[in-house]
Amino acid sequence: MTLRGKAAIVSYGETPVTRARKDKGEPRLSYWEYFAWATSLALKKAGMTTKDLDGQGLAVMHPEVDHSLFLGVEVAEMLGVTSKWIITPSHGGASGCVGLAQAALAVSSGIVDRVLCVIGDAPMTYGDTMMLTEHRRDFEKPFGVMGPTSLFALVMRRHMEQYGTKVEHTGKIAVTQREHAVLNPDAVFKERFTMEDYLNSRMIAEPIRLLDTVMRVNGGSAFIVTKTEEAKRWTDKPVYLLGYGECNNYHHGSKALSDATLMGIGQASREALSMAGLEPRDMNFFQPYDDFTIAVLMQIEAAGFCEVGKGGKFIEETDLSYRGSIPLNTGGGQISAGQPGLAGGNLNLVEGVRQLRGEGEGRQIQGAKAGMVTGIGAVQYGRNVGYNSVAVLGSEL
Amino acid sequence: MSRFGVKEGGEARKPLPYITNYSQGFWEGTKAGELRIQKCNACSHKQWIPKAACEECGSIDLSWIKSGGKGKVYSYSIIRHVVMNSMAFEKEIPYALALIDLDDGVRVVGQVVECKPEDVKIGMEVEAFFEDIGGASIFKFRPRR
Ligand SMILES: [Zn+2]
Repeated sequence: MTLRGKAAIVSYGETPVTRARKDKGEPRLSYWEYFAWATSLALKKAGMTTKDLDGQGLAVMHPEVDHSLFLGVEVAEMLGVTSKWIITPSHGGASGCVGLAQAALAVSSGIVDRVLCVIGDAPMTYGDTMMLTEHRRDFEKPFGVMGPTSLFALVMRRHMEQYGTKVEHTGKIAVTQREHAVLNPDAVFKERFTMEDYLNSRMIAEPIRLLDTVMRVNGGSAFIVTKTEEAKRWTDKPVYLLGYGECNNYHHGSKALSDATLMGIGQASREALSMAGLEPRDMNFFQPYDDFTIAVLMQIEAAGFCEVGKGGKFIEETDLSYRGSIPLNTGGGQISAGQPGLAGGNLNLVEGVRQLRGEGEGRQIQGAKAGMVTGIGAVQYGRNVGYNSVAVLGSEL
Repeated sequence: MSRFGVKEGGEARKPLPYITNYSQGFWEGTKAGELRIQKCNACSHKQWIPKAACEECGSIDLSWIKSGGKGKVYSYSIIRHVVMNSMAFEKEIPYALALIDLDDGVRVVGQVVECKPEDVKIGMEVEAFFEDIGGASIFKFRPRR
């Protein structure tokens, strides 16, 4: 059983994102409103109505804010849809890619013909209200751990020591993604910055600077997956799932003393590429989940664009812009476009779809035919990471 | 308490763990000045964080052993801002946070104090000590003398 070419993304919808600043008169919406808004945008783009979702599949991804346990069916209830098949990916930042794969499984096995995959999240409205992991509450916070920022700082320092990676390497990722955000009308940050600005930006958890991190926003995102046979009924530009791989609770070597510079993205991407019958050099873009620049650098290595430990040198020598040999997070990524809570896990996936449909506007990659997107979720300390998920997408079968 | 650990009209407090049946032995240990880690009675694997099963073989037959509390810095960061944690840490900032590979073969995370944060290096030898945070005791590390 392979998922290669069995399913297609036929539509997507993304709401504008917002910091929900009361002093600027920006509304503070609930996550429900983002679920509803993103759905309506995706349906409209496909020329569908909610009637087309009756008897079909619904993938409701969990937001990061405190939410209803029965969210899946409550979203169906809100939309007035009687679903045949509801899945509720709860894989943190990996839920976008995981939802895509689970939707592809549902349509390729004939359970349903199409699946709406949707998430809305509103950390600016609700704040940090959800207990993400018990180990974070019990064995990290009391010990002075400052969430994922400090955990990735520990990983970054180790990577620097082990391989000679420099802050200028993560700096180039930050600068390049910002250049892309300038070309993305939907991005929250549109001011260019230089390497010098990057190096001068405020330290949060050394060696991580402010410009290595994400800004949280409210937002929602949806995409619609159909079986390949009906894809062209909804769009003349289907984007096919060519390969998929997942590797969860990754460790390398002893479980108690794992090499923190390695990621489960390695195994997941090898499986995804093998299913697609493609190599890293065949990828016209790389849209990795980006909560921190070091996570991007490590995924460049893990996904096989270069050897592990050589990511710094590779970045130095490679044009990562949308015109370059391996365009990186061409919408600016979460780091520059904003992280709409866990809807951020869809952000780079949707950007990949946009590129393959030729809808990248001022940042369109010429001749983009295939590319890789990733999702990662649940950061443990000293291991990378909980959920690792990789999808290879293509505009041709 | 608000979600940032700020007591209404009072000083910020350190976040406290929930103590469960399977983690109780660890927290009793820190109160008694011991760093306890789990050892599997079936396969002898040692693990951190405390779990309800052995991560190596799945056995639920686990016991506590006392770690020597000595280890080496695997990696470190200097914390400059409170992010997603209690403002109670603000008065300790800047501080070094480190992954420590204990000689017993497990990796833990904790603060390294009693030296300048800038002096912490990978490979540095450290030892654990314990601090009451009001309701529980945690371990911190200091350079080994
Ligand atoms: Zn065991």
